[in-house]
Amino acid sequence: MSKLALKQLWARKRRAIGAGIAVIIGVAFLSATMVLGNAMTQGIEALFVEGYAGTDVQVTSAYEVDGEDHQTIPIPARLAADLGALPEVERALPVVEGTAQTVGSDGKGVGGNGPPTIGANWIDQPRNPFVLIDGRAPAGPGEIVVDSWVAETGELAVGDATTVRVPHPVDVTVVGIAEFGSGTRMGGVTYTWFDTDTAQELLFGNADDVSAVDLQVAPGVSPEQLRDAVEPLLPSGTVAYTNAELTERAMEQMESDFLGFFKVFLLVFAVIALLVACFSINNTFSILVAQRTRESALLRALGASSRQVLTSTTAEALLIGVLASGAGLGAGIGLAHGLNALMTAADAGVPSSGMTPSTTVIVAALVTGIGVTLLAAILPAWRASRVAPLAALRDVAVDRSGASVWRAVTGLVLTGAGVAGLIAGPSTGEPMMVAGLGGLAAFVGFVLLGPVAARLAAAVIGTPIAWLRGTTGKLARGNAMRNPKRTAGTAAALMIGAAVVALFANLASSIKYSMTELIDSSFGGDLVVRPDGFSGAGLPTSLAGDIAGLPEIATAVPLRDSPITFEVPGTPFDAGAGKTDWVVATNVADMVSFVDIGEITGSLDAMGADTMAVSTKWADDIGVTLGDSVQARFADGEVGTLTIAATYTLPDLMGDVLVDTAVLDPHSASPSDFLVLIDVADGVPLDQAKQAVSVVTVPAGDPVVETSDEYLDAMGSQLDSALGLVYGLLALAVIIALIGIANTLSLSLHERTRELGLLRAVGQTRRKLRATVRWESVIISIFGTFGGLALGTFLCWGMVRAIAETEGFAQFAPSYSTLGIVLVVAVVAGVVAAWRPARRASKLDVLDAIATD
Amino acid sequence: MTTELLPPPVIAPAHTRPAARAVAATKRYGKGDTAVTALDNVTVDIPAGRFTAVMGPSGSGKSTLMHCLAGLDTLTSGHVFLGDVELGKLNDRQLTKVRREQIGFVFQSFNLLPTLTAKENILLPMTLAGTKPDKAWVDHVIATVGLGERLKHRPSELSGGQQQRVAVARALASRPQVIFADEPTGNLDSRTGGEILAFMRRAVTDLHQTIVMVTHDPSAAAYADEVVFLADGRIVDTMTTPTADRVLDRMKAFH
Repeated sequence: MSKLALKQLWARKRRAIGAGIAVIIGVAFLSATMVLGNAMTQGIEALFVEGYAGTDVQVTSAYEVDGEDHQTIPIPARLAADLGALPEVERALPVVEGTAQTVGSDGKGVGGNGPPTIGANWIDQPRNPFVLIDGRAPAGPGEIVVDSWVAETGELAVGDATTVRVPHPVDVTVVGIAEFGSGTRMGGVTYTWFDTDTAQELLFGNADDVSAVDLQVAPGVSPEQLRDAVEPLLPSGTVAYTNAELTERAMEQMESDFLGFFKVFLLVFAVIALLVACFSINNTFSILVAQRTRESALLRALGASSRQVLTSTTAEALLIGVLASGAGLGAGIGLAHGLNALMTAADAGVPSSGMTPSTTVIVAALVTGIGVTLLAAILPAWRASRVAPLAALRDVAVDRSGASVWRAVTGLVLTGAGVAGLIAGPSTGEPMMVAGLGGLAAFVGFVLLGPVAARLAAAVIGTPIAWLRGTTGKLARGNAMRNPKRTAGTAAALMIGAAVVALFANLASSIKYSMTELIDSSFGGDLVVRPDGFSGAGLPTSLAGDIAGLPEIATAVPLRDSPITFEVPGTPFDAGAGKTDWVVATNVADMVSFVDIGEITGSLDAMGADTMAVSTKWADDIGVTLGDSVQARFADGEVGTLTIAATYTLPDLMGDVLVDTAVLDPHSASPSDFLVLIDVADGVPLDQAKQAVSVVTVPAGDPVVETSDEYLDAMGSQLDSALGLVYGLLALAVIIALIGIANTLSLSLHERTRELGLLRAVGQTRRKLRATVRWESVIISIFGTFGGLALGTFLCWGMVRAIAETEGFAQFAPSYSTLGIVLVVAVVAGVVAAWRPARRASKLDVLDAIATD
Repeated sequence: MTTELLPPPVIAPAHTRPAARAVAATKRYGKGDTAVTALDNVTVDIPAGRFTAVMGPSGSGKSTLMHCLAGLDTLTSGHVFLGDVELGKLNDRQLTKVRREQIGFVFQSFNLLPTLTAKENILLPMTLAGTKPDKAWVDHVIATVGLGERLKHRPSELSGGQQQRVAVARALASRPQVIFADEPTGNLDSRTGGEILAFMRRAVTDLHQTIVMVTHDPSAAAYADEVVFLADGRIVDTMTTPTADRVLDRMKAFH
């Protein structure tokens, strides 16, 4: 029977290729994702290994907050001298690290768009992983060494004068350029080095603190031995790690942070692509099997057992799966290299040494690809094996069934449960979870209901087309309606893509709308100042005061934030326990003069170093009230007590906990602001105020000054560019869906060869024949897209309600323009998908077509 | 089946002018040693207003002759005319137009589009052409078909005989110059087949249409006014006012 499978496959190469392409694209994306993800992991690990090459043991702060390792929490500088005296230590080096952003020759900060902008002390020592490729080491205030990427991007050379933002601008001269000994770079991360004293002064503001102490072992001592020797001597709050532990911890953090997110993100889209591919393959096999009903029946009549027929079809699927998965893996590796080349061009590439796929990747890609193919093919194969031998003598049966009771009932129940989950979600204890499960159920329900709805939907969508385009449209409508299962299966692939687009687009527009609403209703100010990148140096803390001093300005308040862990009364408050919140520090009394935080109970006037204002909800959550004192552990690990001086009812804009800047500053090595909010004095035109503010901000590192509308637009466009990435990835799913449509159309047209011949014989022109095929495709596309948009929009509605419950301020605001555009794109896509099948159909020889069995 | 005579057409069927003709028509398939000559220098006139049957054993070229006369296939050499138009000189678009407006087809099976109702199928050539049907004529034809309520049904809900009646009605509806029927009763039992043939006969006698029918069934040929016998791609005989017995006798001579 396997020989038969091979022959059948060969006889239908073209159709098999159609099914195969869906698998190829899905597997290619999956393997590219994994290869790239692994390469990044390896590349980053290699960088860490090199970066820690000069460190056998590192002593650093033991304190971690919010799961993040805060390198900048200072430890006493004298540890370097103390530990350096140990016999096991060859050399002890103080490490000073913080945030510093070098300004390029164009006046703009280099980097800062995600990867960190690191400021550190240059350590002249034989094992420094960085080597100077030009100039010399910094030797005093006003001298810096930058890494070669900063030099290139910022067009800086040795001897150039520039500015470093720490975050206040400092005039410096570039005296050297350095890079990793191996020459590798981690795209986007910037380094600015000072001499140790200057680094301490600029980054910590004192000479007593360092970030860490690096220890190098004396000959004959292992890092582990050194760590064990150092540990008993360490003051509380500090800890020692060996080189291997450091790399491991750094990698863990990368995985849990950026890298993990990146991998999951890509994987989600790979899964979507594979899901869509699954529908396409399933549809193709269903049609192939339907067309082969006679053949299968003949085989059965000649004595083949139903198992042999099943085996034959399965073997065919297996072969397609193996070939397509192999091709997909190859394409995926190519795709990964291509993407890496693109990323390298954008300075975010990884060393290509890591681009060789691991065995795990190869096995995972092949197993997934073959599995998906088999899974999608097994149901049609099973159906093929059930053909009664007698069917051999009948005409090819066209499957017109669509709505079995089982399908309708299950679909309705699932959709109903999903809808119920989405509606009821917010009133349950786990809004996001219930809404998510509801969304999943609704999705499966929709897919199941597809064939039930397809006839009616095609009829409705086809009616205006039939009305507008006459016979052509009428025939197209009839063709789209004649096999609801097939129409639904084809449309389902497109539906998935459209649903995800609708979900994301509507989510983004809802977030934008909610933000606008929130700022419109709560922010009475006029201008904001923000840094021009989100991982740069931030704003100097003196800026808000300088702006407030301008005659055009009524009030200006700085916003800085930090995580603080609060004691929950009645539970133990030791390391790792408590409730951690990001706390905003500002001048609270000034701020509330133009920011609405609701009804305030208590007084904001006396906000000082040991008081806070909290939202009523937050107070209720941990069971405290106005006047209570709560223990708080700050970002540097120190514990203090904060007394609730006031409560407020609207935490949406400013968060649940507000403190004076005096609360955070003692616990931060180098405080900086992320925003300055400005209220312009009465009667001063905005333009004039903006102008006045610029006079102060330009020398302070030239951050962005915006009206609240401009600020919203800027935030919105950040969201849009994230959305662009999502659309780009979804385009893949749409392409797979289009291939599915084209494939289904080709197969359906093949089935209708005689009909086409008849049409041509009685006078249908080629052009009209093509139009008929095109319209059929458009009807299917609109059906799938509309279903997807409806589903996605509804899911978004449910999600937003759930978010509103957990986060408090989200409002549902669908993006009608995007939905409209997607629908138009679907129509175009339908036309594109129909192009080839339509051409082939119109080229049919009339006589051959009529004579076809 | 009620038939009401329409007033005779203004121009009475001119027996002098053929509705279609083939002149020295030759059709060869393949090349060199494997070439098969399906039509060998055939010259024939299809008289207007008559029911002509084309007979011959399998492989005699009868279907090829019909396909070429209908513009569905092209000749290797020679000419075919529909009225005064030489089909060989037309491009695909013009041929399509000719098929739509001047030729009717009835095939052995699969004559109807499954997605359209019987009535929509009958009107298909006109709707494809975007022309308004001659209502009186179409009503008359539809009345002749005698399907009544079943006109709103789809082909899958009609019997084989009913489907063929719809097919003949469709061929008639655009009042073409010639209707070509390719074994129209081949898939039907003899009683139903007889009904269809009687219906086609009436279309010629009463409605003054021209029908060319390819068949290998002598009793079907007996409904025709004239029979053309083909063998090995050549016309070997003709017969007017045939009967089943005479045709059968003539056919036996081929074996």
